[in-house]
Amino acid sequence: MIKLITAILTALTTGAIYALMSTALVLVWRSTRIINFAQAGQAVLSTYIGYEVTVRTGSFWVGVVAAMIFGALLGAVIDRFFMRPIFKRIQSGPILMIAPVVATLGLLGIIQSIIGFKWGLTYQSLAAPVSTDGYTLFDRVIAFSPFNLLVVVFATVSMLLLTLLFQKTNIGLALRASAHSPEIARLSGIKVDFIRTLGWALAGAAGGLAGMLYIPSSYLYPNAMDVLLVFGFVAAVIGGLESLFGAVAGAMLLGFAISFATSYVSEKLVFPMAFIMLIVVLLIRPAGIFSKKKGRRD
Amino acid sequence: MLKLTPSKKRTIFFIAIGWALLLIGDRIGELRQYQGSFVAMYALAIASIILLTGYSGQLSLGHSALMAVGAYAGALSINNLHLHPAIALVIATFVAGLFGLLLGFGVARLSGPYLAGTTLALAVSLPTLANQFPILGGEQGVVFDVGLPPARFGENFSQYKWFFWISTLAVLIMLWLISNFVSSRYGRTFRAIRDNETAAALAGLNTGRLKVLAFAISSGMAGLAGGLLVMLISGVSPSAFPLSLSFSLLTGAVVTGVYSLRGVMLGGLVLVAIPEIADSLVTRIGGSEGFTATLPGFLVSALLILAVLFAPNGPGTLLHTFKKHH
Repeated sequence: MIKLITAILTALTTGAIYALMSTALVLVWRSTRIINFAQAGQAVLSTYIGYEVTVRTGSFWVGVVAAMIFGALLGAVIDRFFMRPIFKRIQSGPILMIAPVVATLGLLGIIQSIIGFKWGLTYQSLAAPVSTDGYTLFDRVIAFSPFNLLVVVFATVSMLLLTLLFQKTNIGLALRASAHSPEIARLSGIKVDFIRTLGWALAGAAGGLAGMLYIPSSYLYPNAMDVLLVFGFVAAVIGGLESLFGAVAGAMLLGFAISFATSYVSEKLVFPMAFIMLIVVLLIRPAGIFSKKKGRRD
Repeated sequence: MLKLTPSKKRTIFFIAIGWALLLIGDRIGELRQYQGSFVAMYALAIASIILLTGYSGQLSLGHSALMAVGAYAGALSINNLHLHPAIALVIATFVAGLFGLLLGFGVARLSGPYLAGTTLALAVSLPTLANQFPILGGEQGVVFDVGLPPARFGENFSQYKWFFWISTLAVLIMLWLISNFVSSRYGRTFRAIRDNETAAALAGLNTGRLKVLAFAISSGMAGLAGGLLVMLISGVSPSAFPLSLSFSLLTGAVVTGVYSLRGVMLGGLVLVAIPEIADSLVTRIGGSEGFTATLPGFLVSALLILAVLFAPNGPGTLLHTFKKHH
């Protein structure tokens, strides 16, 4: 019973963090048709900024805000001054197919090296604002702490805010329109380029938040978020890459699958489980399990 | 005057390179022989990326994992089956190829970012799997020992020269096979699929099956490169195949031009030279530990971005546009 409860609560925590990462990937994919592999670097750099601010001000919350603002700015700058010029240059030829992946990977390397130059490769730890000791349930300590609860709450609230933004505001409408059909959106007077940069900024903020919520339970080092990038990608593909709801649902599904596999079968099944889920979804429903469209292989 | 077919010309070309390398190998020091072996190994790994990306239009970030598959297969066949190292390298090639074939059924029909992300997940997850099986030796890994050079080469024949011979010979044979392959009917069909998949399918090509085939062959090449890599570092462990290896290979492929196998040696040279350049930069300007450790990665990434920006189709096109402007 305890085992079951722990597995569910762990799934919620990890799922919440995966959801932030997959949301970041989906936001960029919807607006630019790019899987942003640099997201791991952007998120971890934002977390370093959040870490510095936390250390200076002594407040984790100020750090979170700083990480999200920095993440948003970094995302916008990358789109405006890196991605857009690259795709102005490369408009045809076979390289067009691999250029987005190569460009974001190169960017990932650059960001992580900059972190290495500035902070070194050592592991830093970021103290959580609330206790990380597990709650006691039926006289036993379970692997779910007040901090984990906070992670779940924060992720849920930010998802709700994002949903409100998308469904209830004009900007949200513009974001959806530009993702759905950039040409028609442009003709209707939407500044598609601006909206595209906004998508990158929102994704950057989500990544920064994911970092600040994930790092206290782990360590801060340049490659700290690489693993989350992979999980975020798997979650986004499970959800179909197109919808925010899919991204969150996919992340939760992945969180539950990994949590149950690790607590009931073997601790070491984290990566194999994610990979198996990815392959199964791609083989059976390449458009994502929540999608009604048939086939999305390009 | 004797008229040569292109395939005969190619064979003569490869024999000439082999002969030249044999002579060069006699005249360079042990360090250069060792580095030369790495150049050859990287050239093969880059060729495997080029075959996949440049010829059949797929992008893989999982080649570090495929190299690991070949490396473990080779090591196990030497250690547990006591096979001859040459046979072990052949086994490394075939096991990785078979693995790639199975994987290809799942992923090769995907395209663009889907394939990149899936192979990325593979590169991250496969090395952690190695810790699960005791036979693979966990974090320590297992030894990969090709043994001393045969006695008939004399006492002055060093281990490094032996490595150099094995690497260059294996790589030359493989590249010769592959260059024949890509100039065959298959090479043309691959390029047709890369350039326009719909048109290729309409022309009656089974694009799905051909993509899986390209993936399998590329995996086999990567497997052989993996076997050679662990021969050079004399042991195989999960940490020998980090994700950054895949990124380096991609950089090597983009720098040499993804659409031609001709420049693979250059790519291998670049990958071997980058840590050297980083080292000499550090000794000249100094720097913190973080700087020293991160510089090679920075150079690789910067090179990747510069190459894709300024010479997206390889250095050959750069020369071409340069000529056009002047």
